[in-house]
Parts: sequence; C-alpha cells; structure tokens
Amino acid sequence: MTRRDRWSAVGLALVATAYLVLGRAYPLDTLAALGPGAFPLAVGLVLLALAVWQFSAAGRAAPSGPSIAPPRSRAALVMACVLVVYAAVLPRLGFLLASSALVFVAARLMGLDGWWRPAALAVGVAVAARVLFVTWLGVPLP
Amino acid sequence: MSELFVALTPPNLVACFVGVVLGTLVGVLPGLGPAGAMALVLPVVVKLEPTAGLIMLAGIYYGAMYGGSTTSILVNVPGEAASVVTTIDGYRLARRGRAGAALAVAALASFVAGTFSVVALQLAAPLVARAALAFGPAEYFAFALLGVVLLATLAGGARVKALAMVAVGVLLSTVGMDPMGGTVRFTFDVAGAQAGLSFVAVTAGLFGVAEVLALTAAGDTATAAARVRFRELYPNREELRRSVPPMLRGTVLGFLVGLIPGPAATIASFVSYGVEKRVSRHRRELGTGAIEGVAGPEAANNAAAGGGMVPLLSLGLPFTPATAVLLSGMLLVSVTPGPFLLRDHPHVFWGVIGSFYVGNVMLLLLNLPLVGVFARVATIPPRWLMPGVLVLCAVAAFADNNNPFDVWVMVGAGLLGYAMRWLGYDPAPLVLGLVLGPLLERSLVQALTIARGQVSGLWSSPQAAVMLAAAVLALVAPGVLTLARRARPGAPHP
Repeated sequence: MTRRDRWSAVGLALVATAYLVLGRAYPLDTLAALGPGAFPLAVGLVLLALAVWQFSAAGRAAPSGPSIAPPRSRAALVMACVLVVYAAVLPRLGFLLASSALVFVAARLMGLDGWWRPAALAVGVAVAARVLFVTWLGVPLP
Repeated sequence: MSELFVALTPPNLVACFVGVVLGTLVGVLPGLGPAGAMALVLPVVVKLEPTAGLIMLAGIYYGAMYGGSTTSILVNVPGEAASVVTTIDGYRLARRGRAGAALAVAALASFVAGTFSVVALQLAAPLVARAALAFGPAEYFAFALLGVVLLATLAGGARVKALAMVAVGVLLSTVGMDPMGGTVRFTFDVAGAQAGLSFVAVTAGLFGVAEVLALTAAGDTATAAARVRFRELYPNREELRRSVPPMLRGTVLGFLVGLIPGPAATIASFVSYGVEKRVSRHRRELGTGAIEGVAGPEAANNAAAGGGMVPLLSLGLPFTPATAVLLSGMLLVSVTPGPFLLRDHPHVFWGVIGSFYVGNVMLLLLNLPLVGVFARVATIPPRWLMPGVLVLCAVAAFADNNNPFDVWVMVGAGLLGYAMRWLGYDPAPLVLGLVLGPLLERSLVQALTIARGQVSGLWSSPQAAVMLAAAVLALVAPGVLTLARRARPGAPHP
C-alpha cells in the first residue's frame, strides 16, 4: 500500500457517499419485499467501509517516493480528449469520417511519423471496418 | 452426445479456426487480453448462428492461452497474465538456443491439458448442472458472494483494493432498470442509460481503450523476437521425458483450480510452478532454464481455462472476465447458460465442448509450424495496430445495443481503466462485479422474500450455509493469520 492508495481511498469514499445520497431517492420498503433503494444502500455502505479500510491500511504504509509519471503522459491526456470528441461527433459526422479522423490522430499521437502513413492507415482501417461490419454483417453504424 | 459432432460442420469448423487464430494472435500481443478481444468480436458473433458464434468466442479464449506462451519464451514479454510464470524458464531456455524446444513443449503441454480438461468438462458440467437444479436464490446469492470474495482474495495485490473494485462493479450494475421492480435508477434522465451500462462497452473500454492510452503514455515499445529455425522446433528425447510428469501434474492441478472462482489460469500456473519447485527431480534447475518450468505452468493454465467453463456452462456464473464475455455472447444469441442449458440447447452445449477437441488439434497444428510467424506479430509497433483497436472498441460498444450512449460508456471506462492502472487497481474484479451485480441483487431480494424477511433464510440450507461460511472464512482468515504472526514472540512489529 502506498500514499497514492490513500488518495484513491478518499476518491472511493466520495463516490460511495455521492452514491448513497443519490440512492436516497429510491424507497427501501421492508426486508420481506426489498425496494429498489435497498441493494444500492448496502453496496454504498460496503464501498464506504472498504474505502475506510484502504485509507487506514495506506496510512500505516511508509511514505512512497515521488510519483513517476509515464514519459508521455501529455500524449495520453490529448488521446483522452480526442476520444471524448470522437464520442461527441460520431452521431453527427458518421462512422467513416469520425473513425478516419480518430485513427489519424491516434496514429500520430502514438508516434507514426509523417502525414501520408497515418492518413493511409486511417482510411484503410475505417473503410475495412465499414465494409466488414456494415456491408457484410449489417451492423447499423451511424 | 451425438451433438458433439455439431462441431465438425463446415461453418463451425471455420468459426473454430477463426477463433483460435484470433486467440493465438491476442495471446501473442501483450495488453489487450482474451476478454477485450472477445468483446471486440461480439458484433460478429451476433450475426452468426449461435453455436458457431460461441465456438468462435471460446476459440479466442483458449487460443489466447496457447499464444500467450510464445512471447513469454521468445521475447520475455507475457501475452497475458497466465503466461507470466513461463517467462522464468522459457526465456532462459530461448537464450540457451532451446527456444524451439520450449515452444514445442508449451504447445504439447497446452494440447494435453486442453484435451484432458475437455474430457473432464464433459463429465463434470452435466453433474454440476444436475446438482445446481437444487439451487434456489439463497444458494445462488451465497455462491456469487463466495466467488467475488475468493477472486479478491486470490487475485494477488492488495485484497482491499480488489474488494473495492468488486463493489464499484456492483455499484455500476445498479445503473438503469432495477432487475426486480423495473424502477429506473441512477440514470440522470439520460435515455440511453435506462438499459444499464453495456457490459461490452465497459469491457472494451477497461481493456482496449485503457491499453491504447497506456501505450500512448509509455511511447513505442516494440520488441525484437528471437528467430526460431524449423529444425530447432523439436525437443530432444531427454526434454520430452522430463516434460511428461510436470505436464500431467499441471493438467490435473489446473483443472481443479479452474473450478474455483477467481483468476484461475494465472493462479494455476503459479501453483504448478510452486509444486514443481517442491516435487520435481530437477527442482534445483528451475529458474535457470528448466523445461519443467514451461511444461507444468503451460499445462496448468490451459487446463484451468477448461475448468473455468464448468461454473459458466452448468451454473451460468462466470468467474473470469473472459468467461463473463462468453456469458454476454450467449445472452446476445438468446442462449441462457445454467442448469437448463443442456436440456434447452443441447446442440450448443455439446457443440461448444466438441469444438474444444477440434480447436486443440487446430492449435497444435498451427502453433508448431507457425510459431515464428506469430512471434513476429509481437514485433509490430503498437502505432500501427492500436489505432485500429480504438475503432474496433467503438464498433463493439455501439453495436451491442445500437446506442450512441454506449460509446460514451466505452470512453469513460477507458479513462477509468487507465486511471486504475496508474493507481494499481486490477480491472478484472470490477468487470465481475458488474456481471454478478444483478444476480446478487435478484437472488438476495428473492431469498429474503421467500424467507418472509428473515435474514437467516440466506443460510438456512446447508449448501448456502457452507458457501457463506467459506466466504466469511476467506474474508477474515488472511487478517487473522497476520495478527497471529504479529502476536508470535519475536515477530517483527510494523
């Protein structure tokens, strides 16, 4: 256990508390006929208890050294933003265009140099996926 | 039993072949893992005839067990967790010029174990299914609870973190329609969330998208594989002779471990290695490049994959992410696994089991001559492969319910999965919590209703009482043992 586990335990406790608060909107009813709020209440309490356990266990751990960030964590952050944009534009732009753009940007972020190679990969992957899933298998992609 | 031959029809043979090739490639490529790959092909599976689709999924599952050993031996990079132990002696054998022999013994051990586990599965699954007919809600609740507790206890790493991830998975499973009364919960009025969080989207995100993010952060990590000449593929007589006992021990051990809920294949390989270190005549050579260190664990992890199918097929309870995806695939093609699977869909049950035989032969024929080709796949830089994985993840997530909201779920799960890796959380318990959550809730509510609100109704039957007692024991025993060790005179205090 490390000090980082302590902070993640705080995060888990916050999630559990928010979940318990939101779960109050659903009735508990009786033990013989449990309402829709009963199981979430039990799960929220269990998660809260586990977060407290993890917090106390991490508190006993020796302080860990400085956290070492991955060498290209900024690239991962940009990739995460690209994925959020992809989810937002997929229904509007359609699968072919949105996925081509996603593959192009992802390939560049992962270190595929130049323009034509990422572009060729983007078109190849998007067209192949569309042919396989839409044309052959009839999956109704946007 | 004649349904076993369903596996030999041309469409099922093709499905099996495609499955084992994909599985081998997934096993060779570190990162994605069988569960992620199986989730990605679900859009294809739903378009196939149910038996063929499930045969393809099962082929990926046990194909990955085969393929995982290739990169462990040649590149010292395990394709999946169950092959980690194989790197210890396998890679050292490769450096001594015995890569071919190690790969051939790994393939043979996988074949022997896979075939044994099929026979044992064939015998055990119907027996367990018959016994399970006596299971009521209380027994299902107790068994599911025992499963998640054992998973958290056996998974390695911090137990509390694994348990917390199970709880988060169960928490996520409560999003959407309540399984008993139909009340919509925790959806924030998002229409797409009413059906709940798509298991496929969550799996694709946690395993696929998170892997791409991790590789993006780590930079290009392509590795060079050792070349294997065809004439080096054959183990010599001494190596074969030394491989047989650990292979047999690993097979039996692996199948038994596979029956226990938890990350069975990984545990089985470690247990097998531990057993060899104790009982092998060449135990002192283990760790320096002994063939026993390849034969035992490889047999064990493949046998465990077969053993893990018993609770899935006979009880409808998956205890690994891969069998959870298989369960999802079954439900997508309207096949409900459990005690009635054998009665309602005998052709599916026996067809899938029959495909294991066929698949094991295919894997042996594929792995021996094509091992060099598969090894070279591991050297393809991620920048060429991983952007395509993102698109496959999106297709898998969307196609599950034709719901754009599921693409958001996939992205969210990907970000969560990446954060979990950074914080040292294993995604497998979360996936199982998500799958078992509705079962836990449904069986708890039903058991209490039957017992008219008496909590003791949860342990009124002997089976439920034994399983709940085992769950409590698994939960408290490690803590009690730690306290006992600390209380011993002379024991170091923290």
